[in-house]
Amino acid sequence: MRTQNATAYRFLTPYLLIFAIFWIWPIISSFIISFQATRTVPWRFAPAFNWGRLIGDPAFYNALKNTLLILVIQVPVMIALAIVMAVLLNSPLLKARGLYRFAFFAPVVVGEVAYSAVFRLMFSLDFGIVNKLLNSVGISKIDWFSNVTPAMALIMIAVTWRWAGYNAIIILAGLQSIPEDVYEAATLDRVSRVKQFFHITLPLLKPVIVFCAVLSIIGTMQLFTEPFLITERGGPGGGTETLGLLLYRQGFRSLNFGYASAVAYTMAGLAIAITLVQLWLMREPK
Amino acid sequence: MAAVTLTNVVKRFGIFEVVHGANIDIADGEFVVFVGPSGCGKSTLLRMIAGLEDISGGDIAIGGKVMNDVEPADRGIAMVFQSYALYPHMTVEQNLSFGLRMNGNPKADTERRVRKAAEILRIDELMQRRPKQLSGGQRQRVAIGRAIVREPQVFLFDEPLSNLDAELRVQMRVEISRLHKELGVTMIYVTHDQTEAMTLADRIVVLKAGNVEQIGAPLDLYDDPANRFVAGFIGSPKMNFLSAKVVDTSNSAAIIELAHHGGARLRKPLCETFPAIGAEVVLGVRPEHFFEAGEGDCDIPVKADVAEHLGSVSYVYANAGPEELIVEREASRQRASGDHFKVSIKAERALLFDKAGARIR
Ligand SMILES: Nc1ncnc2c1ncn2[C@@H]1O[C@H](COP(=O)(O)OP(=O)(O)OP(=O)(O)O)[C@@H](O)[C@H]1O
Ligand SMILES: [Mg+2]
Repeated sequence: MRTQNATAYRFLTPYLLIFAIFWIWPIISSFIISFQATRTVPWRFAPAFNWGRLIGDPAFYNALKNTLLILVIQVPVMIALAIVMAVLLNSPLLKARGLYRFAFFAPVVVGEVAYSAVFRLMFSLDFGIVNKLLNSVGISKIDWFSNVTPAMALIMIAVTWRWAGYNAIIILAGLQSIPEDVYEAATLDRVSRVKQFFHITLPLLKPVIVFCAVLSIIGTMQLFTEPFLITERGGPGGGTETLGLLLYRQGFRSLNFGYASAVAYTMAGLAIAITLVQLWLMREPK
Repeated sequence: MAAVTLTNVVKRFGIFEVVHGANIDIADGEFVVFVGPSGCGKSTLLRMIAGLEDISGGDIAIGGKVMNDVEPADRGIAMVFQSYALYPHMTVEQNLSFGLRMNGNPKADTERRVRKAAEILRIDELMQRRPKQLSGGQRQRVAIGRAIVREPQVFLFDEPLSNLDAELRVQMRVEISRLHKELGVTMIYVTHDQTEAMTLADRIVVLKAGNVEQIGAPLDLYDDPANRFVAGFIGSPKMNFLSAKVVDTSNSAAIIELAHHGGARLRKPLCETFPAIGAEVVLGVRPEHFFEAGEGDCDIPVKADVAEHLGSVSYVYANAGPEELIVEREASRQRASGDHFKVSIKAERALLFDKAGARIR
């Protein structure tokens, strides 16, 4: 047994080496760097330098507030939408199911830059189709990029568009694993379709929904592409700046690696904390 | 309590017709078993009675009322599924009470019904468990309990025991029988296990490829099958079929000659139809109706191949030309492999079928 394991580990060595160098080490290293003042040469150990700054930094609180705001609005809306889409996809009445499945999944495959460009076009003040449509139903046009509230809404719409289908496909797999005869038994028990959904489908989907929620929380905590590309680096005036953008600005624009590392660890810590709370709230009753 | 009547019931899936006009009358309080090989339409028939499948043609009446367009929940039936179909996220108690709770049944009445069902099925101690934490037999009990709670007029069972091991199957079979006596309601039970059919049924409906082959009490089907299919399907081990030819008909009897047994001849008295001389026929003999040499009307020589000893009886698989026969012998008269011996056929214990499988009486 022992020699067998040794052989296995020898085969795993190349992978483990690469994993250690490119994954484990950066994680440890950035943790150490977060305690160093990186603006001086040579770097020196100064725990309060970055973490102290973080606690009092209005830019950090602004980014944190924006990230959490997007999180609490966008994730629930998207998951709810994904459930609805999955139920529709699963309906026996639906024709061309494969086509819809592809269509829902497609946004994930589209390049980020291309999709951001299209969103900028669609929401443009004077030429965008969205404002034209709003106009045609009598709503005056909205300047999506220069006001904070519409800009935040735009970010949430874009993220939801991109990931709702992905989650719907995962939830669809969960739906299809619920045996048909459970619903037949409920039909014989005179339980209406709607009640079946709330008393059978939703409870049985809970593990899948929790999984999707956790994935989405982690993703949204790291949100970067949309505020960077669509609202032009967190505009207007930092109104859509997220923790991911703050990290980018500190690390890659100001080359302040210590502070960027502290932000990165804050993001990871928050994601873990929120996920744990979520798992605890959704735990199986014993 | 309710009688169930199927009149010319047809079921089509697209262009495929899978039930071809079934006529079945089930009396109030009767225990009827649908039996037949896989794919013959047993489940389809049951699901049509339950209302889970549309009816393509004909009428289904329960308690004298045509139910074709009545919602499943309003038909006064309860169904027990082969896969149990329990609600996985609910405790046993919640599983039993779910339907009643969802329909605003008074709480006290729901509790009373659940308690009664739990008592009948002896699952009182399991009430707080989830289906995952139950054995197969316990799950099946809960599934039956969920049906009892509805207080239906007709119980429908679709192969309820097929996921259980042999011992548990016998035990549950007895319990279902007891349940039928206790509740006294109509029960329709689907199985492909003919032992279950024989032991449970007041009457058996034998189905084959969407057709009703015969309806009758278990022993009637056993002793007096309408055709070769029913004769072969009911009884275990199976009835033996020996090819033969009619060589003469006279004095309300047919003389037949067995094809593979050295020209052995048998005089079979008939009263209804007389086959033509020269017609090919099949003689059906049950394993227990092969008598010792000289005891019957016609002896045939066989050679023992394999013997299965079950204790009280043995089944000897014997070769006789190209035909393999199964012969039942008392344990004290068992045969060893390779033995040559003779078996005897009695005319009144042998059934005659024409080439198409219809009975010649
Ligand atoms: N939804 C369906 N669509 C098309 N054909 C079907 C459908 N359900 C059943 N059939 C066909 O109808 C026939 C009867 O099926 P059914 O399930 O009633 O058989 P069964 O007698 O219950 O068999 P088993 O003993 O295997 O359960 C089969 O040939 C089956 O292929
Ligand atoms: Mg079936």
